[in-house]
This record gives sequence, structure tokens and C-alpha cells, in this order.
Amino acid sequence: MAEQSPDTDASDRRAPDARTDGGTATERAPFGIPRWLGAALPLLLLALVLVGLFALSPFAGLSTGGAPPDVTVSHATLPDDGTVILHVVNNGPEPVRVEQVLVNDAYWSFSVTDGGANPRTLQPMESSRVVVPYHWTPGWDIETALVLADGATVHHGIVAPQPSPGVTGGTLWTLALVGVFVGVIPVLLGMLWFPFMRGLSDRWIHAALTFASGVLAFLAFDAGFEALELAEAVPGAFEGNLLVVLGVVGAFLLVQAVSAWSGGERQSPLALAYLVALGIGLHNLAEGLAIGSAFALGHVSLGAFLVVGFIVHNVTEGPAVVAPVARGERPALRHFLAMGLLAGGPVVLGGWVGGFAFSPTLGALFLAVGVGAILQVTVEIAGMIRRQGRLGTATNLLAALSGFALMYATDLLVVL
Amino acid sequence: MGRIDYERAAAVTDGLQSRLVDAVRDDAAVSRRGVLGGLGLAGAALVGASGTGTASGGHDDDEHGNFGASGEYSGSTFDPHEFLRQFNTGYDGQESVPQRVVETDGQRIREYEFSVSRTTVEVAPGIEFPVWAYNGQVPGPTIRVTEGDIIRIELTNGNRHGHTIHPHVKNVNPRMDGIPQNGPGLIETGETFTYEWQAEPMGCHLYHCHALPLKEHIHRGMYGTVIVDPDPERVREQPSDYCGFHPSQITPELRAELVARAKSRNHEYEENDAVQELVMVMNGFDTNFDGDNEVYAANTRAFAYGVGETDGDGNWAPGETKRPVQIDRERPVRVYLVNTIEFDPINSFHTHSQFFDYYDHGTTLLPTHETVDTVMQCQAQRGILELDYSDHDPGLYMFHAHQSEFAELGWMSFFEVV
Repeated sequence: MAEQSPDTDASDRRAPDARTDGGTATERAPFGIPRWLGAALPLLLLALVLVGLFALSPFAGLSTGGAPPDVTVSHATLPDDGTVILHVVNNGPEPVRVEQVLVNDAYWSFSVTDGGANPRTLQPMESSRVVVPYHWTPGWDIETALVLADGATVHHGIVAPQPSPGVTGGTLWTLALVGVFVGVIPVLLGMLWFPFMRGLSDRWIHAALTFASGVLAFLAFDAGFEALELAEAVPGAFEGNLLVVLGVVGAFLLVQAVSAWSGGERQSPLALAYLVALGIGLHNLAEGLAIGSAFALGHVSLGAFLVVGFIVHNVTEGPAVVAPVARGERPALRHFLAMGLLAGGPVVLGGWVGGFAFSPTLGALFLAVGVGAILQVTVEIAGMIRRQGRLGTATNLLAALSGFALMYATDLLVVL
Repeated sequence: MGRIDYERAAAVTDGLQSRLVDAVRDDAAVSRRGVLGGLGLAGAALVGASGTGTASGGHDDDEHGNFGASGEYSGSTFDPHEFLRQFNTGYDGQESVPQRVVETDGQRIREYEFSVSRTTVEVAPGIEFPVWAYNGQVPGPTIRVTEGDIIRIELTNGNRHGHTIHPHVKNVNPRMDGIPQNGPGLIETGETFTYEWQAEPMGCHLYHCHALPLKEHIHRGMYGTVIVDPDPERVREQPSDYCGFHPSQITPELRAELVARAKSRNHEYEENDAVQELVMVMNGFDTNFDGDNEVYAANTRAFAYGVGETDGDGNWAPGETKRPVQIDRERPVRVYLVNTIEFDPINSFHTHSQFFDYYDHGTTLLPTHETVDTVMQCQAQRGILELDYSDHDPGLYMFHAHQSEFAELGWMSFFEVV
């Protein structure tokens, strides 16, 4: 770049040099076509091909009477014990009409909300809610089926139904409080190990860091499996599994980009600590989602278990956040508070989203984003240790393993 | 071992009893509205067999008129209300069934033209089911003859599969059995074959396609009813053939009684006009082809003989396409009942507030079951029911399959006694 001469003639003479720059600096397109046209030409030709395809319809002979209808009931909500609401998405390329609804093998009246003049007809990719006035008994499973015009059925089972509280200011506040207890407080508590960690030798600090990456890696697996599980409930049109892949890879690259932009190769310890906090925060967003949706879907007792489990679980995330800054100068206290909020605060956000706008699609995506962020942070931590000393020591490996094991143990609290 | 500790047994019994009482109390507290609103046939009877716009009168603080299929039928090709009272005798019948009667040497022959085609029928409001049908309808046309007549059906197959007609009447000629392995075998696309059977014995019978896979051909709608009326002259000559008595047991009174019953059953006699006769073919449709029916009905359409709307207080209105079977309480009712259900081994017919006499297969003139309110039929079983509502108040009287699942999936109906 420094060689670039200001005179315009030079660009011609220097063309061979410019080509070495990945070939991106070529001035002339073939046949003297202007550059903008060169960029637009393939798109114009593509449009022509598509128009031709529709006009000639060369595939008409292959037509086999249309695709079968593809409808998903993503989830159900139960505002009270006299109502069942099914959240429906039309995944197929054709409009679909919900003709009848079966509840526990009986025809039942229903109404379809959302949509315009004819709400019972769902356009491709359109989602809607089927409201069934059905008096159900808490705890007794409900089996529902939508019957489409051609007689195809779309089944959705609701296991051990409980009324879901619905949107109120009170639940908003409750979920926020739960989020603070589950997210912010345990992480801050975990950070209290910081003074102790400062007294440790390099070897033990590295052990603490690898322990932290063990914790993170476990969380990545945990959230990853959960994301794939949720992906199965994602309406087919949204390609649940690929959405998870997009979330993981996207978040990984995004956090990598943030890291490269902020510090490049030589990441400052504080920046790394923030990155760890960010990764954990994205993961905790998904945690909040789990808690919020447990409340939203009426599994309050399950929600309570999740809370206890996550609290214990999240205490171990504190030392992971502060481990990168255990060496050297102690950052200002506001940094600790900020990192605590970054790592724990998203639980509140996730709780609200899960409580009021839960959908498997959103859930799977959030979980995947958490996984991607965590993976990148783990890579980052490994890089830091490698720059300061050896990564593959017995102490480090055992520390990573114990991070895994501890997470497994505390995870049992969430599952049980 | 061996000795009974009565005190302990009493204590255990007490414990169990109080636990049961507690459980029932808790349950009742939780689900009272559930029971009121939605559970069981009692609830359904209360709210009627149809859902849209029900309970608009604000009968209770919560809407419980939720049961039943939503909306009305839009297809006009088949009307189950017309079908109820449509008999094809050769002299008289549906326009869509070409028919005539010829006599040669004193033998009466009733001729019908049947064709097989593919079409769809609306089995629940908005739900079209692809069928293979005799003369474009499911169930196929009801044929009615007198015993001893020849039934001649010229079958033309316009469907792309081979089909047959297998009769459930006595048939002495194996070529006419309507199976792929005998006689003409499958009547292939574009082919025509004329089946011929002597109408014996009297009764309420069934015909269906016997092509393989059998299950599919029947499920797709290839069945119908043959009613063979008793000939009062034959009954007078051989009364013991028409009841469970030995010839030596036939008294003049019994003979007169049997002849009178035969005249009441025979469409050619005036005595028959006094009776309100109905044909009900109990069928079902597996709309998603998973081997389990989504729709159950009498005469194809779910809830076709239900009410349009009701407030559960006796105020109800018929729907346009879903309405009760109106009957005159002054005249006896006779139902020719056939079970062609596929995928379920049995079906049943249950009347509310009324008992009836039942003639299994209709092959006797004295009832095989007297004073019953529920009768069970396996696949292809059929019979004749005789009901009398003359001492009942006018109003709605329910009848339905007493497999409650079938009832809630469409086989639930009403007589409107006027």
C-alpha cells in the first residue's frame, strides 16, 4: 500500500503488482464491461433463467399432485383449565386449512386467532394459534390432533398439563428476581475466590484457567445436546438442526471477531476475562430461557428445581471469569461488577423471553449461540495459557477434567 | 398363615376407604368444571353433538358447548338424510341407479346397473376422504327385493383397480360369489359383468367388494345394503322357517302373527307403509391411513344426525347439514342396521330412553333379542331394530355407538320425536 503512487498512470504500470494482492485490484473487466455491470450481470442472468423456467415450466411433466401438507404444532400453552392453545406453523409450500380439532380422540370446537379474513387457512411459513375451549384436568395428559382438509392429522401431546401463569407485571418481576438469584449472585459469589487465586503460583493459575475451560466445555456440550433436542420440536420450515449449526458457528465467529478487533493476538487479561464473561453470559441467557419457559409451560415445580440447580452450578462460573486476571494488577472493582452482570445478567433477559415468547425455535437458537460463544472462549483461554507456559501439563489436564466432573455433579441437581 | 386377623383387616379396609373418599373429594374439587364441560357422553348429551356457536345464551359462566365437529358440510353429492329412506326396488329408487323389474315364467328379476368410480366424500365438515364407490356414493345404493326374486347387478368398473361384488345372501352358484379366485374374478378397469343371485334368506344383508387388499377396498367405501323382504305367502306355507319354533308348535294364532309381521316387513304391502323405515350403515374413515379411524358415523358423515346448536336447557336448533332424524311418534320405527366398520372389530347401537326389539341378521320374524337398549355388531353383522316412541314426550332422543370413542368421533345422533 505504501508503494501506491498518487498519479493515475501508475496504476496501469503497477497492475501486475496489484494482482498479487489476491487479484482483487484488477481495474479492467474483460470486453471492457464496466465493473458495476460485471457485479450485476450474474444476477441479471439468474433472473432471466428463473423467468424462463417459469415461462416454459419444463418440470410440469414431473408434477405429482403437490406436496403433502407439513404442519407443526411447536408447543402448547394453557392459560387456564378451560383453554388449550396450540401454536401452529405451516412448513409446507401450500396453504393449509385447519378443518377440525380432536382433543383426546373427540371432535372439539375451536377458533384460530391471528391471520386475516380467513384465519383457519395458514399460508406457507405462517404461524398461528389454535384456541380450544377444553376443560382439562391438571396433571392428566392431553392428546390433541389437528385434522386438515385431506384428513391428514397433526398430533401434539401435552404431558402432565398445568396452567401457565401468563403475562403479568408480577411474573415479570418474579422472573427478574429469579434471574438475579440464579445468574448474578452466584457468579459474584464465585468471584470471591479472586483474592485466594491471586496468591497462587503460575502453575495453579493455569490449572484454574484449564479448570474454567473444563467448566465451559461441559456447558457447551450440555447446551449443545439440549439445543439439538429442542431442534426436533422446531417447525420443519426453520430447519432446527441447521439453525443450531448456524447459531454455534455464528456465535463462535462473532466472538472471535470481537476478540480480534479488541486485542488481536495479544489479548489483554482483562479483555479475556470479559470474553469469558460474555461466553458464560450467552450460555446463561439459555439458562434463563429454560427457567422462563418452564414457568410459561406451567412446570413451576420443574422451574424451582432448575433454580436450585443453576445457583450451585453458576457459583463455579465465577472463578472461571476472574481466572484470566488473577495475574498482574488487580482490575478496578467496577470491572468485577460489570463482568458479574455480563455473565449473570442475561439469565433475567432469558427468563423474560422464555416466559413470554417461548418457542422451540428461539430456544434452540439461543442455546446454540451460547455453545458457539463458549467454544470460542475456551479456545481463547487455551491460547493465553500457551503464550505464558505449557498447556498440556498433567495438572492442567486434571484441572480441566475436574471442571468437567464438577459440572456433571452440579448438573445432576438441575436434572433431578 | 391361614388365620385371619379381623381387626387388622378392618383397619386396612377403613384406611383404604378413607383414602378413596379423600381422593374422590380432591378430584371432584379440581375437576368439577372439567366433568361438567367436557367429559363423557353425559356432557355430550347435555350440550349436543355439535359445537359452533353453542352456549351463546350464556347458560353457565363458562362456555361448555364445545363438543363436536366445527362447521357445516359443504359437499352436496351425498345427503345422509336422503340416504336414510332411499330404497331401490327396481320399481322405484334413486335416479343415479338405473334399475328395472322383469318377469319371465313367473320369476321376478330385479335388475340394477352399478358402476365403480373414484370420488371424494366429505366425512366431517371440511374433510374430504378419497373413496372408491358404487354409483358414486358411500355407502352404496340400498337394494330392496322380496325373497325368491332374482337380483341381477350389472357391474361396470370405471376405477383403475379391479373390483367385485360379494353378496351376503345365500348363493348356490360359486361363479357368483364375487371373489378374485372364482367365476369372472376381478372385474378389471373398463370391464362389465352381471352378477345374479336368488334373494334368500329374508333379512337385512350386506354386499361389498372382495378384491384384495380386502381391508382397503372395504375401508374405501365399497359396501352397501341388500334388504330381502319376507314373502307373506311363503310365511303362511312354512311358518316354522321364519321363527324358532318346530312345525308342531305352530298354532293358528302364531301363523297369523307371523304373516302379519311379514306384511309389515314387505315393501309391497300396505302394512309396510305404516312403519317408518330407516337404513343405517355404521362406518368409519381412517383419514390419515394409520390403521385407526378418525371419523365414525352412521351413513358416512360424522354427527350428520346431530343437532346444530343447543344451550343444554332444551333449546336447540338444527343445523343446515347436521340435523336430527325426524320421526313421527305415532308410527313404529324400523332401522335396518349394518356394520361395515373397518379397523375396529365391533361396533354398537345404543338408544337413549328407549328399548327395542332386535332381529339379528333380520332372518327371523320373532325378535332374537327382546327389550334391549344396546346391541353389539361385529364387522359385517347386521340386524333389524324395531322401536316405538308413541308413549314418549316429543323432543330429542339420542342414539349412538356405545363405544364412547366412536361416539365422540362422530357416531352420535338424535331422533327428533314429533
